[in-house]
Amino acid sequence: MNKLHIAIIVLTLGIVLGWIASTLMPTSDKPIALPNVIASAPTGGDFSLTSADGAFRLKDYRGKVVLIYFGYTFCSDICPTNLALMSQALNSMTDDELTQVQGLFVSVDPERDKVATLKKYAQHFHETMQGLTGSPAELAEMATRYGAAYRKVEGESEGGYLVDHSSNTYIIAPDGSLHAILPHATPAQEILKVTRKLLAES
Amino acid sequence: MKKQLSKSIIMASALMLASFSGSLLADAAGDISVSDAYVRATAPGQANSAAFMTLNNGSMHAYSVVDAEGHAAKAVELHTHINDKGMMKMRRIDKIDVPAHGNVMLKPGGHHVMLIGLKQAATEGDSIHLSLVFNDGSKKMINVPVKNMQMGAMDHSKDEHDMHKPAPKKMDHGHMH
Repeated sequence: MNKLHIAIIVLTLGIVLGWIASTLMPTSDKPIALPNVIASAPTGGDFSLTSADGAFRLKDYRGKVVLIYFGYTFCSDICPTNLALMSQALNSMTDDELTQVQGLFVSVDPERDKVATLKKYAQHFHETMQGLTGSPAELAEMATRYGAAYRKVEGESEGGYLVDHSSNTYIIAPDGSLHAILPHATPAQEILKVTRKLLAES
Repeated sequence: MKKQLSKSIIMASALMLASFSGSLLADAAGDISVSDAYVRATAPGQANSAAFMTLNNGSMHAYSVVDAEGHAAKAVELHTHINDKGMMKMRRIDKIDVPAHGNVMLKPGGHHVMLIGLKQAATEGDSIHLSLVFNDGSKKMINVPVKNMQMGAMDHSKDEHDMHKPAPKKMDHGHMH
């Protein structure tokens, strides 16, 4: 056996061992793929995220209409615009209606948005609104099912990274199903109309 | 020889004076007026906000805003939003053009002056000093009031599309070179 043969055998062994090692590596070490494309047929469904008051589980909200907006507090314009519209819809409801409605702000920027901040931020828009976030994996999984997309963008601004994000308001029916997806800047009147229709049907 | 030198010095001085006074008479800061300016009040935990306004250019010269400055935030930048099939993308931009005999609106969802890292919460009743820097080097100081977005119950007598905008208000603005 000459030196060339030994070299080839060592090289082949190395490649095979490397491949085996890489497939055995725990997948949690891989970066989480963010849902950076808006899903074409969102299914919605139950999810569990975290608020300042503990775990938030959608299944605990059966019987209520749940309104969800995905964003991040660094957002200076798009998120506050839509949350103000949701706020206006909530402020136009009767006390009785409000007991059957839950507004949610889901931060897709858990790196910077802590639950204590999110609670205060959400309550600014409406005292009943809750601010939620989760681990990057939890958020990506849930957002994908809802058809919400987001993507971190570095180096655009002196203030740190920005987040490109879809800007829909998701309306969950009292049975927990995804009922409607309202686009960016949908007037409060429309949010109110869809919500009231669901309440009337339930 | 000496006479010629002093003559040319006088000529040069006259030229400089003429160009200087020319810039005083017509520059972007003088030609452009600002109306309906406001900074959006921040929610707790919201470190950034944005200033919106209309820039009116009554002159025959096209100008651009190339920068904005202010001490109220760590960074003040010109930004815009691109709605890319539902993905809202906020991007920094180099300039905002103000056409001759025209105007440009800085409004929610579009161009704005981004205030990054506000040193204190922007609260209704406060005002924020900003300077707009134009492509000809002139600067315009503006004092921008902070407005709450309307979040109360809907007033059905109003056009619903105006609900999230504060009431338009004319404002005073400084002028600096």
